Amino acid sequence: MEQVLFRHNRPGRCITFAEYRSQGGFGALTRALRELAPLDLQQLVMDSRLRGRGGAGFPTGLKWSFVRRDLPGPRWLICNCDEMEPGTYKDRVLLEANPYSLVEGVILAAYALGVPHAFIFIRRGYESAAANLRRALAEATTANLLGENILGSGFSCHIDLHLSAGRYICGEETALINALEGKRANPRAKPPFPAVKGLWGGPTVVNNVETLANIPDIVANGPEWFRSLGATPDAAGTKLFCVSGHVQNSHCFELPLGMTLGEIIDGPCGGMKPGRSFKACLPGGASTPYFTREQWGIPMEFDAVAKAGSRLGTGGIVVFDEETCMVGATLNLIRFYARESCGWCTPCREGLPYVRHILERLEGGRGEPGDIDLLREQVKYLNYAFCALAPGAMGPVDGLLRHFQEELREHITLKRCPFGGRG
Amino acid sequence: MPGLIIDDIPVEVPAGTTVIEAARSVGIWIPHFCYHPALGSVGACRLCAVKLLDGPVKGIQMSCMLPVQEGMVVSTTDAEAQAMRRNVIEWLMINHPHDCPVCDEGGECTLQDYTIAGGHGLRRYDGKKRTYHNQELGPHIQHEMNRCIHCYRCVRFYQEQAGGTDFGVMGSGARVYFGRFKEGALDSPFSGNLVDVCPTGVFTDKTSRFRARYWDYDMAPSLCPGCSLGCNITPVARYRELLKIKARRNDGVNGWFICDRGRFGGREVNDPARPRAPRVDGVDVPWDQALDTFVLRLGELLATHGAGSLALVGSPRLPLEGQLLLARLAEIVSPGNVCWFTTAGEARGVLAALETLPPEGVASLADVRGAGCVVILGVDLLAEAPMMALAVRQAWRNGAKVYVMGISEWTFGSFLGISVTPVSSLDEVPPAERVKPVLIGNSRDLPSARVDEKLWGGARVALLQSGPNAVGAALLSVDHDGASLEELLASGRIKGVVAVEADIPGSWLAGIPFVAALDWRQTETVAVAQLLLPTTSWLEMDGTFINYEGRAQRFLKVMNPGIPLRGLDPTLHPPRIHRSVPPGGDLRPAWRLLAHLVERLGGRSPESPFTGRWERLRDLHPEGEGIMVYTHGSDSSEGGG
Repeated sequence: MEQVLFRHNRPGRCITFAEYRSQGGFGALTRALRELAPLDLQQLVMDSRLRGRGGAGFPTGLKWSFVRRDLPGPRWLICNCDEMEPGTYKDRVLLEANPYSLVEGVILAAYALGVPHAFIFIRRGYESAAANLRRALAEATTANLLGENILGSGFSCHIDLHLSAGRYICGEETALINALEGKRANPRAKPPFPAVKGLWGGPTVVNNVETLANIPDIVANGPEWFRSLGATPDAAGTKLFCVSGHVQNSHCFELPLGMTLGEIIDGPCGGMKPGRSFKACLPGGASTPYFTREQWGIPMEFDAVAKAGSRLGTGGIVVFDEETCMVGATLNLIRFYARESCGWCTPCREGLPYVRHILERLEGGRGEPGDIDLLREQVKYLNYAFCALAPGAMGPVDGLLRHFQEELREHITLKRCPFGGRG
Repeated sequence: MPGLIIDDIPVEVPAGTTVIEAARSVGIWIPHFCYHPALGSVGACRLCAVKLLDGPVKGIQMSCMLPVQEGMVVSTTDAEAQAMRRNVIEWLMINHPHDCPVCDEGGECTLQDYTIAGGHGLRRYDGKKRTYHNQELGPHIQHEMNRCIHCYRCVRFYQEQAGGTDFGVMGSGARVYFGRFKEGALDSPFSGNLVDVCPTGVFTDKTSRFRARYWDYDMAPSLCPGCSLGCNITPVARYRELLKIKARRNDGVNGWFICDRGRFGGREVNDPARPRAPRVDGVDVPWDQALDTFVLRLGELLATHGAGSLALVGSPRLPLEGQLLLARLAEIVSPGNVCWFTTAGEARGVLAALETLPPEGVASLADVRGAGCVVILGVDLLAEAPMMALAVRQAWRNGAKVYVMGISEWTFGSFLGISVTPVSSLDEVPPAERVKPVLIGNSRDLPSARVDEKLWGGARVALLQSGPNAVGAALLSVDHDGASLEELLASGRIKGVVAVEADIPGSWLAGIPFVAALDWRQTETVAVAQLLLPTTSWLEMDGTFINYEGRAQRFLKVMNPGIPLRGLDPTLHPPRIHRSVPPGGDLRPAWRLLAHLVERLGGRSPESPFTGRWERLRDLHPEGEGIMVYTHGSDSSEGGG
C-alpha cells in the first residue's frame, strides 16, 4: 500500500532534515513559490478533494476559500496539534517520525492564504513531537525555507510553536483561538466562523496536523494522484488509522481512505487477539457511535461512515472483544468527557456528570428500568450544548443505546455487570 | 426590518435584534439566565431554547444567540423546547442546594421562579452534590458559591463592564469557580451590582442579610441622592428601616447599574436620633406649639429689623417641591432674600453651568457611553460620580479615546482598566480624534475659562453639580434673583435665617438672633437652630430632583416615617400604648411644612407645588427616562415619559 505521510519514516528514530530533503522534501515548497500563485495552490488543494483530518472532514480547500483576502489587517493560520481524543494518536506518531512534512505543509498553506505568521498549537504532553518540531523550524529557518523572503520569493512566513496548557477543549478550534490569545479556553459562538473572525479578530484558518502534512505531496504529485490514493471513488488520499484495543497489532497505519473496517482489522491489524472475537469498535475516536459486526463491510471514509450512523472522526479505531462490557466502556469515555468539559454551558458542565452518574449506577448494578429512557433523554438534549464536545460525548452513549440495549437491560435485571465490570 | 412570527404573533424588529429581544417586544418572556440586556448574549445557560417551526432556521435554537431573519416561525411553547428548558433546570438543580429557606435570594430568585415554572418538581439525580468553599468578600457582599448556576453574569459585569481585575472565573468543567483570586474585599466601586446581576443567591447583600423577604419589602421607584447624576434606584425597606438599595433601569441615565456608594450609602435615614420631633430652644414640643412659635418669632423679627432682615435658604439636596414652596414663602415674608446655595462659589459655578443645559450642549450618561472621545477636566469621577466613570469605561470599550486633564491618569485609568492619555490643555487633543466628543467637568471649578471651551469641536458637556437637585436650585435662583447665603450675610442686615435642608456652617449663624431649621438630618445647622421642624427624608415622601443635565425625575415614597423597629427601646415591646402614628413618625415633607407656613402667614398656598412653567411636572411618572427642563424661561423638551 502506498505510503505518503509515512514514506519518510525511519525505524526507531526521527528522520533528519538532510534525509527529508534528499527524498525530495521541501521540493513542493520550492516549486510552489516559483510556479504557483497562492490562489492556484488553493485551487490545487480544492481539486485534490482533501478533507480535514481532525475529525469533521470539512473540505480543506473550501475552508481556505472562505478567507477574505481584501480585508485590512493580518490573516492567521493555526495548525491544531492538540490531539487529546482518547484512542487517537496519529499526529504524535507522525510528528515523532517526521516533523518536516508538517512544517512544509504549514508554509505552503500560509503561502496559499497569504499568512505572514502561523502557529502550531501542540498538546503539552507531546514533548518529543514538540522537540522535533522545534528543531525542524530552526533548520528550516537556517535553510531560508522559513522566515524572511523565503528562497528569494519575496514571501515571508514565521511559525511559532505554542505549547498548550492542556485541556481537551483546546482542540475545539475557537477554544484553541481563545487559549492562544491567552484567554480561558471556552469555545466562541459560531457564526462568525474563524475564517471570518478568528485569532485577534482576524480571518483565521485552523487545520489539523495530518491535513497540513498532506499538502506537500498534493503539490508535488498533483490532485489527481491524491484522489487516486483512496480505496473508493469518493475517498481521496490516505488516512492515518490508529488502532487500539483487542487486535493483534495495535499501531498507527497509513491506509487508503475507504478501506472497509473488516479489511483494516483483518489486514494490517492481524485480526483479533487469539481466541477473541469482535464485538464492537469506536470507528473514529472516542466521540463516535459504536460500530458492530453489522458495519464490518463499511468503507472507512467520511460519507460512508456517516451514512452508517457514526463518524470517521480522527480515524482512531478502538476495538472491543465480546467479553467487554459496553456499559463500562462507555462509562470510561464519559468520565473523560465529564472531566474535560470547559464548564461554559449547562448541558456539558452539568449534563455530562449526570450521564456519568447514570452509567455508574447501571454499571454498579443499581440501575432502574427508567434509566434507559433517562439516558435517551440526556442524549437528545445534550445535543443542544454550546459546542460539539457534549454532542460528541453522546456519540458512544447513542451507540450504546442503539446497539447494546439488551446489555443495558441485563445490567438492570441482574443488578450487576454481567461481565464482572470489565469495561 | 425583518418580519417573523413568534407564538402566532407577527413581529417586526430592526435587523440584528435577537429572537429573545423580539419576543420581549411583544410581551413574551423567554426564560434565561446568562443573557442580560446590558451584558449581552453568550449562549451559556441554554435555558432560552425555542423551537423554529419554519423559515431559514429550524429546530431547537437558543433565542438569545439567534438574530431574527425574515420568515422565521418561532414557538416558545413547543413541547420539545419546553422539555429542553426543563432539562436545563434539572441539570442546574442537580448541584443547587435546597437552602431556599435560609437564602436571602428566596422570593426574588430567578432560579426558584424558573424551577417552579419549568415543572422540574421531582429529583431524579440521587448522587452527592458539588460543594465549594466560600470567600469573605468584604463588608458588602455575601458569597455562597454552592448556589452558583454558572451563568457567567458576575464575571462579565465585573471584568467587562466595570474593569475589575481582582475577581474572576477559575477552574474548569464542573469545578468552575467565581470569586476573588485571593480572599478579601472586592476592589471595584461597583461590586454591589453582583447582587443585582446574579440570578440566584451566590452574591447577596450582606448589609441586609436575613432581614426580610421579597414579599415583605416596602419598595418604590426612587432616585439616588448621592450626587447630581440622578441614578434610578429601588430602595428596599421594612418596618421603617432602609434595608438595601437595588439599581433601577433607566437607559438615559444609569442604564442597569449603580455605584457602591449609592447602594450602600444613605443609611442615615435609619438613625433613631435624627430629627424626629419639633423642638424649640432645645425642648421637644408638639407641632402646634412649634409652628405657633415659628410664626410668632418670625413676626417679631420682621417687626424689629424690617423685611430685609430674614434670609430663606434652600439647598441643592432639597427636592424641587420644597425649593418652589420656599420661593413662595419668601414672596410673603422676605421678598428678594431667598437663596438655594450656601456659598457664593457654589452658586456661581452651578449658575454658570446652566449654559450647558440646552439640548445640543449637555451630555447625558447615555451620550457619554456613546461618545467617540472623552476629555475629563480635572474631576476625580470615581470619588465624585462613580457612575460617570463607569459610563466613560463603556465609551472606551466601544473604541473612544479618553483624555484626562489635571488628574492622575494612572489612578483613573488603572482603576477602571482603561487606557487614558494625559493632556495639559484641550488643544493637545488631536483634532482628528474629536469624534462625538464629550467634556466632563465639575461646576465647582467654574466659572473659569472652561465653559467657553464647550464650543470645542461641537462637544457636549457634562458638568457635575453639588447635589441631586442643584439644577433645580440654579433655575430657581435665576427666576428669583436668588443669591447665596454668603452674599446675603455679607450685607450685614440678616438677623434671621430659615434653613430648609440646607447645610450652613454653625459659625456663620453664631451672631444671628433667629435661626430655624427644617431638616431630617442631624446637621450643624440643626444643632444651632433655636427652632427645629423635622421633615421626612427622600425615602418617606414623593418628590422631584433635577439632575446635572436638567432632567427632572420623580421619586416615590418608599416607607412610612418613624423610628425603625430595630431602633426602638426593646423594653417597650410589645407596645402598651397604641397609636395611629409610629414613634418618631409624625413627620411631613419640607414642602408641606412650607405650604402650611405660607397659609399661616396670610398667603395662599397652591394645590400643587408645580404652577406656571412647572405645571408639566405634575404628572411626571417615576418610570421612564424623565423630562428635560432646560434654561430659565425657555422651552423644555420631553425626554420620554
